[in-house]
Amino acid sequence: MAYTYSKLAEVTVGAGGASTITFNNIPQNYTDLVLKLSTRTNTSDASSGQWTYVYFNGTTTNNSTKVLFGSGSTTGSLSGSGSTPYAAYVEPSNFTASTFGNAEIYIPNYVNTNNKSFSVDSVTENNSTGAYSNLSAGLWSNTTSINTVTLTPAAGTFVQYSTAYLYGIRVEL
Amino acid sequence: MSITKLTTNGIAGAKYDSVSADNYYMEPIATTLVGAGGTATITFSNIPNTYKHLQLRILSRSARTDAADGIALRFNSDSGSNYSWHYLRGDGTSPGAGGSATQTEILLSYDFAANTAGSNIFGIGIVDILDYANVYKYKTVRILAGNDRNGSGAVGLCSGLWMNTAATTTLTLTSYWGANNFLQNSRFSLYGIRG
Repeated sequence: MAYTYSKLAEVTVGAGGASTITFNNIPQNYTDLVLKLSTRTNTSDASSGQWTYVYFNGTTTNNSTKVLFGSGSTTGSLSGSGSTPYAAYVEPSNFTASTFGNAEIYIPNYVNTNNKSFSVDSVTENNSTGAYSNLSAGLWSNTTSINTVTLTPAAGTFVQYSTAYLYGIRVEL
Repeated sequence: MSITKLTTNGIAGAKYDSVSADNYYMEPIATTLVGAGGTATITFSNIPNTYKHLQLRILSRSARTDAADGIALRFNSDSGSNYSWHYLRGDGTSPGAGGSATQTEILLSYDFAANTAGSNIFGIGIVDILDYANVYKYKTVRILAGNDRNGSGAVGLCSGLWMNTAATTTLTLTSYWGANNFLQNSRFSLYGIRG
């Protein structure tokens, strides 16, 4: 297979947990970025422990997202912005033990001088009728190249064994 | 790429974990292209544990006497009640969501094509299994799947859970609605994504 899909970095959360996961100094020689997240928080969904926010270059401004979600029985849609850009679901603490969410965030043209759009598809799982899934479209209204991506749970911390992987996609023209 | 920062909120002893500068990529592990006689079961066995993630790509049409069929997934030949699944789904009219616990298999999606769909119509699906060999985690599956039958059809974002921490070595796929063969030219491709 052509050399187009390269792992740039990975993080495995240790025993102490992590309040954020940050990828710094992202190289600028790829076309797109992909994040794969297998994460869980120490906070229940009753306290917003099911959401992960994504920020770029360390700023919480000029963010917005549109979200389509399912809860296992109902569907809905919401918007995020500023410091609460709802992006991906993360497994909340009250769901089945040892279970982690499964999410992918795709960021095309991250070094382009246009504003930065991204897409998300994510799921949680739970041995119950309730579990979350979502599709999100996001925008960072900034023309700067992305060199840092920060993932933050809406509440609490990422727990041990949570993992995050950053890949670069290079389009070979 | 050299710097991956794991922030631990200023906790003493904060550390960087699992930082790697290596470059790897996605590569094919195995593919099954269904022949003229059809087949009831697709099995990927002896899956190596040398990757971080698996991705299964499906193009499927089954012999079920209906326009659509579901595909069921089992891990490591486990037929116990150790699975759950959920879906977010739209059929061009209204969205819906549902799920079921304590199941004997994962329903990947209701929305693969079957025998009364228009000729040569197949359903498609992409199945992502992150950390498939991680022995600290149950295995969570994310599925994007659907089919359009030129006037009907549906698409869904689905999920599944295998409640077992064992490394994944075998994946088995069958019709969700009984002993329906997958029909000729259905294709199942398994990829590994290195980390």
